[in-house]
Amino acid sequence: MAEKLGETSALCPVCLKTIKAVKVAEDDKVFIVKECKDHGKWKVQIWSGVEHYKYLYDFAAVLKPPLKYAVKECKDCPQDCGLCNQHKQHTCLNVVELTNACNMNCPICFATANGCGYKYHPTMDEIRKMFRTVVDHVKSPRVVQLSGGEPTIRDDLPEIIKMAKEMGIEHIEVNTNALRISSDIEYLKALKDAGMDSFYFQFDGIDDAIYMQTRGRPMFDVKKKAIENCGVVGLGVTLVVTVSPNINLDHVGKIIEFAAMNVPTVKGVHFQPITYFGRYPEEPEDKDRVTLPDLAAAIEKQTMGMLKADNFLPTSCSNVHCDMKSLSVVLPDGSLFPLTTMALGPPTRTDDIADKTRTEVSKFWRFIEDTMDGPSEEEDKSWKTFVNRAKTHYLTVSAMAFQDVWTGEVERWERCCIHMVTPDGKLIPFCLFNCTSVDGETIYRRKSFCPHSVTL
Amino acid sequence: MDFLISDEVKKTIESRALKVDDIKKIIDGAEASKDKITNGSKCLAKKQMGDVVVYADYSAEDGKIRINSGYAHKMKILDIVMDTADTEWTYVKNGAKVRKGHTNLSYLGATRSAPSLVDPKSGESWLEEYLAAKTIAVAEMLFSQKRA
Repeated sequence: MAEKLGETSALCPVCLKTIKAVKVAEDDKVFIVKECKDHGKWKVQIWSGVEHYKYLYDFAAVLKPPLKYAVKECKDCPQDCGLCNQHKQHTCLNVVELTNACNMNCPICFATANGCGYKYHPTMDEIRKMFRTVVDHVKSPRVVQLSGGEPTIRDDLPEIIKMAKEMGIEHIEVNTNALRISSDIEYLKALKDAGMDSFYFQFDGIDDAIYMQTRGRPMFDVKKKAIENCGVVGLGVTLVVTVSPNINLDHVGKIIEFAAMNVPTVKGVHFQPITYFGRYPEEPEDKDRVTLPDLAAAIEKQTMGMLKADNFLPTSCSNVHCDMKSLSVVLPDGSLFPLTTMALGPPTRTDDIADKTRTEVSKFWRFIEDTMDGPSEEEDKSWKTFVNRAKTHYLTVSAMAFQDVWTGEVERWERCCIHMVTPDGKLIPFCLFNCTSVDGETIYRRKSFCPHSVTL
Repeated sequence: MDFLISDEVKKTIESRALKVDDIKKIIDGAEASKDKITNGSKCLAKKQMGDVVVYADYSAEDGKIRINSGYAHKMKILDIVMDTADTEWTYVKNGAKVRKGHTNLSYLGATRSAPSLVDPKSGESWLEEYLAAKTIAVAEMLFSQKRA
């Protein structure tokens, strides 16, 4: 017997028009059900565990709206985004794409890098304008992720980073496939000297058979070398894993183990269940997806309970069903000592969560400063040893369920705090920006970038 | 009982989310019950208040009580792990010499040790300010705030 959990709006996967949708619970799963009068009906699983889905609403933050809206009056969310006056949450992470070209050609690519018919490679002036959008629309601390395409193909990346810092952007992370920084340590040093704070590394597994499927070439040695180089230079790394049930869901435990062995250079593992936007082979079925609870269960099983599903909490900044996060101290034997647990219950001061999350992104994605002193005491089982270790040897394991044209819904988009910055001065939820129809049409990507691109 | 307290100490206590009135109550209670340790020049008393153990560091001054500091920890004091050396402190309640030692402290399911002042005879332990306000405070923070 299906139970209706709520009504929302969504997109038709064919024509990308706004259509009504309902969320229903059935067989202890949550589905989004929607129908376009012209193109048919869809029912897609978005969650596993109905009571858990409902309980997470208790973790919702008191929302803090954006400082400014680029779109004054919304007529049809999510068609006229920018953000608009209906958007409920401010920006935590600003994504600025520096190119749509890439030095790889992966079978799966959310940005459809290479081969999309146009070349987007903004000038310094255009990039400055995008940073200005961030400074004008987002309260400090401002966090920017430089992305692509592959941002490290730009030789002027150090100057771009320097410019961002000078304009008042406090934290800069670079999203990379790690190819260049595995071999060009001088470039890496220049990025560090320019003021960049951390890397966001594509990292699909510790087995080249996985990379052959996801990236079309062996990459594990490249990743290891790049991490080693980051350790030499002193830049923190978050391993970003696209998780597919057909490719690497059964490797998540090994990836966490690898990450734990590589702290303090590796700060975290960020799992992203596969999302079908950009370039993907064919229309996905539920069996081709991983929900956040499924991922948490896999992590618990594969880490032998060292990291339990209950150790994951929503960050409460985006919608509570968008992400989950845990923080653990890595003990000397490589085991994890989780600090987060659902048993703590919902945060008592939810109004404070958004600020905390932004501060945390800024604070914990880089090396922690030494803040403690006091008489020394070296006993292994002491609180001091634990705390001293936690200063550097911690690991964040987190996940974000991006929405695609099948799973997306307005309830989540309007609470999104991860925004693409467009060349025309807008901020648009990352998932929405990248939503791609079955025919490869995008709702925002193409129309935002094409006027600033060269047709190929 | 008349109390003396500097603005600086008052500010420190309040910055730790403690009330000066609670510190005074602890001192009143400790003076009445003798449940305190002293090193001859100052006294240290503690009291469980809700989920928190609160400490009052004070001394006598011209017939009044000078509050030197107040601090607290959320960790629960468990058993004494070891005692290693005598200190200048005495537990007034039973006259025992207080020793330097280590005590197990538990918080949110985790138990680890920390240096402490201990009286093996009564099983009582006291945490000094440097530890409660730094190491233990950071450990508590790691657990309780990282959930966001």
